[in-house]
Amino acid sequence: MRPYFEKMPEFGKALKKGQIKRGEENALDLKAVETEIDAAVDVIKNAGFSEEKINARGQMTVWQRLDYLVDKGTWSPLHLLYNPADNSEGTTNVIDGLGKISGRWAVIIGFDNKVMAGAWLAGQAENILRVTDLAKRLNIPLVWLVNCSGAKLTEQEQFYANRRGAGAPFYRHAELNQLGIPVLAGIYGTNPAGGGYQSISPTILFAHKNCNIAVGGAGIVSGMAPKGRFDTASAEQIIENTRHFKSHPPGSVATHYDGTGFFRHVYEEEEGVLDGLKEYMKGIPAYDPTFFRVAEPAQPQFDAEDLYKLLPIDQKKVYGFEEILARLVDNSECMEFRPDYGPEVYTGLCKVDGFLVGIIGNRQGYLGKGYPEYADYPGMGGKLYRQGMIKMNEFVTLAGRDRIPLIWFQDTSGIDVGDIAEKAELLGIGQSLVYSIQQTDLPQMMVLLRKGSAAAHYLLGGPQGNDTNAFSIGTAASEVYVMHGETAAVAMYSRRLVKEKDAGRPLEPIIEKMNKIAEDYKTFSRPKYCAEVGYVDEIVKLSDIRKYMVAFTGSAYQNPTSICPQHQMILPRIIKG
Amino acid sequence: MSKDVLLSAPMMGKVIQIDVNPGDRVEEEDEAIVIEAMKMETPIYIPCDGTISKVNVKVGDTVEEDDLLLSIAPE
Repeated sequence: MRPYFEKMPEFGKALKKGQIKRGEENALDLKAVETEIDAAVDVIKNAGFSEEKINARGQMTVWQRLDYLVDKGTWSPLHLLYNPADNSEGTTNVIDGLGKISGRWAVIIGFDNKVMAGAWLAGQAENILRVTDLAKRLNIPLVWLVNCSGAKLTEQEQFYANRRGAGAPFYRHAELNQLGIPVLAGIYGTNPAGGGYQSISPTILFAHKNCNIAVGGAGIVSGMAPKGRFDTASAEQIIENTRHFKSHPPGSVATHYDGTGFFRHVYEEEEGVLDGLKEYMKGIPAYDPTFFRVAEPAQPQFDAEDLYKLLPIDQKKVYGFEEILARLVDNSECMEFRPDYGPEVYTGLCKVDGFLVGIIGNRQGYLGKGYPEYADYPGMGGKLYRQGMIKMNEFVTLAGRDRIPLIWFQDTSGIDVGDIAEKAELLGIGQSLVYSIQQTDLPQMMVLLRKGSAAAHYLLGGPQGNDTNAFSIGTAASEVYVMHGETAAVAMYSRRLVKEKDAGRPLEPIIEKMNKIAEDYKTFSRPKYCAEVGYVDEIVKLSDIRKYMVAFTGSAYQNPTSICPQHQMILPRIIKG
Repeated sequence: MSKDVLLSAPMMGKVIQIDVNPGDRVEEEDEAIVIEAMKMETPIYIPCDGTISKVNVKVGDTVEEDDLLLSIAPE
């Protein structure tokens, strides 16, 4: 199949002077949002105790551990701003992402030991479940940096129990083990109760000499056997017990290395734990990239900085999707699938880091005379029509057959509506696309370039595909809402306006409410909010999108659960004709 | 002397912005006119380097597909 893939048709054009000039202000606007996101991330990075204070205790911070552990240039963080319970700490207190360790991709997650010694907080279990799902979807190891003081006791009612509460990740670890996906855990510090199970549930445990893991830690053991009230005598007993357990905590290395042998290895230095993880990662099942590559890796022909001039932050402005894509894929080459059908959607095969990927993206702007063919009104990109949705069904199904991972670029305002659209079967073809995506059982990544709106947001490879979407990233231009805020305000208040008008009452109070709705929609759809509530897994700089595509693709091809021999693929042959 | 290059509306819509005037020197890919249709703003770009000869529309006009927007004397 070398002639198919080694050199595909090139696409994209260098920016013209006019585009450069016109794009400068847009670039500044996008970068201003990215600066806001950077500032919010800095708050998370600096949460809790300072690095100096943690280092003075003889410990590394989670950030220092990650920096030491992960191969340079491969760390692709996820969920940095994820804080669905709006914790006062600003974080779920775990830091995670994709990265290479000893040349192999892994999903990596660590407790932030600067914040309450890595306590369980509200929303953390949900964060961890996203991470275990990611390891499962990509079939790559999960590497933990455990340093967990247990539940934040004053807020335990928010996360301790429940179906997707703090205990669920232990079952996910068991599930990963059953699937043959290893969970490696470097263990530091005091890990009582929940922290104990965070430590014991992985596959292999690498312990620092000062760590301990236990069903119940010193704090619990000191105060067990409640008597109904506290008095001076019981306080004295607590003091004595606490002093004892502080110097002899339950579940130390003496117990769980020398005694039970739960710890596979114990290390004198903090770095030693990380070296141990690195050593084991060398033995993790992983194909050499050449096994699946279809060409030598190549950079795009055009600078990623161009993206700031090409992607309008103003949602009303249109742009050329292929010009965006040409700045993200190897050597700006593609094999487009059905270019003369369903013009509102791009579908095609491209290469990322030398690996074959299927790309699907919304095109923008006027779609040309006579389209959609079933209606007498013009079609506009961003919307989905009959042909585009049929084309995506075909492409996704064929990619599933050929085992080609998919990357979606979403910027959609919805599916065509009205009785004409209903007669054109759009409701049914939309759900058919959901079925097609689900049955592929392919790893998929979604880039929310700008807008995710209406039912179309559900159809385009995003997080609603729990079994297929590995992760989603957003940009400084991303917005997510069921409909535009002004549309929602009209839907809610149009009849009321008529009523007030007919009654001769002033309209201003209703107008005020409508403006409030529109403003709220704006607030609750912007990039930072999308990241905080998890609509996307990370807001990424435009210049870093390719980095995440490389991480996704490399991970998806590292140890896939199923293979289609390249010479037996059918999709490239259908494209060639 | 070469013939003027004509720039027509690719779609029906309302002219909401005009960025050029007769006599302006323009370059390929400069934004010339913005047409709004179906809540989206579609910029129309200058197809070649040259000088604007005539602008046939004004802001607020509704144009049909293929209506002449402006003409350019190419360099």
